Amino acid sequence: MSWQVFVLIPVALIAFVAGQLCLKRGMESSAAKGFHDRKVLAFLGCGIFSMTINFLITLGLLAHLDLSFVYPFQGLSVIIISLAAAVVLREKLNLRLTLGALLISVGVVLVSMS
Amino acid sequence: MTNSRPKGFANPWLVLGFEVICVLVYELLQKRGASATVHLSQVWSWTGLTALASPLTWLAMGLMIISLLSWLYVLRYIPLSIAFPLSRVVDILVPLSCWMILGEDISTRRWCGIALVIIGLILMAKPAAQLEEKL
Repeated sequence: MSWQVFVLIPVALIAFVAGQLCLKRGMESSAAKGFHDRKVLAFLGCGIFSMTINFLITLGLLAHLDLSFVYPFQGLSVIIISLAAAVVLREKLNLRLTLGALLISVGVVLVSMS
Repeated sequence: MTNSRPKGFANPWLVLGFEVICVLVYELLQKRGASATVHLSQVWSWTGLTALASPLTWLAMGLMIISLLSWLYVLRYIPLSIAFPLSRVVDILVPLSCWMILGEDISTRRWCGIALVIIGLILMAKPAAQLEEKL
């Protein structure tokens, strides 16, 4: 396995998580400020940009690796997104929600591995 | 959250369910569209371009856009730490519907994963319902 894999899989994951966080932040502020606000547009733009990066890197990885190797890493995004939303967006996360997200994450990894 | 929540068909939880079904249907349509056109060219079929010959692929693309817009709408109202894990139900619905509709097999490992996701969803259901009361 080449070094690209070790670099690109985390980069794709980070881009995906960052993209979802930006989209969430943008859509949340749009509720109060509307879509003409510069900040709202900046967050949505960053979100779409990050998701595009993730999309392209994932395609690149799929060109070289099996889907059953690449996709389980996307399953990890569930728990990472929940924790990142709690830290970055200050969303309230209790033990029950964290455990639920963790089980869903592990479940998705198992489903996509086979 | 300051904004009042829409009711009826605009209810964000209902839209989240709709988004999941859109993703499920477009993934199945993609598979159908791609399989139906693979005979057109052995070489080009690997690029996905031959799949464009199938109307099912175009239907899938339409649903993709609808699901993205619904997802953005959901994000406006539901915390990401709840909405995102819930939206991944689609990852178990795809193998389950392939099993039921297309007659594909599900391995033991995959059944274990499906069970874990269901337990996770049950755990998240109560906090999500409490959130609903607060809003």
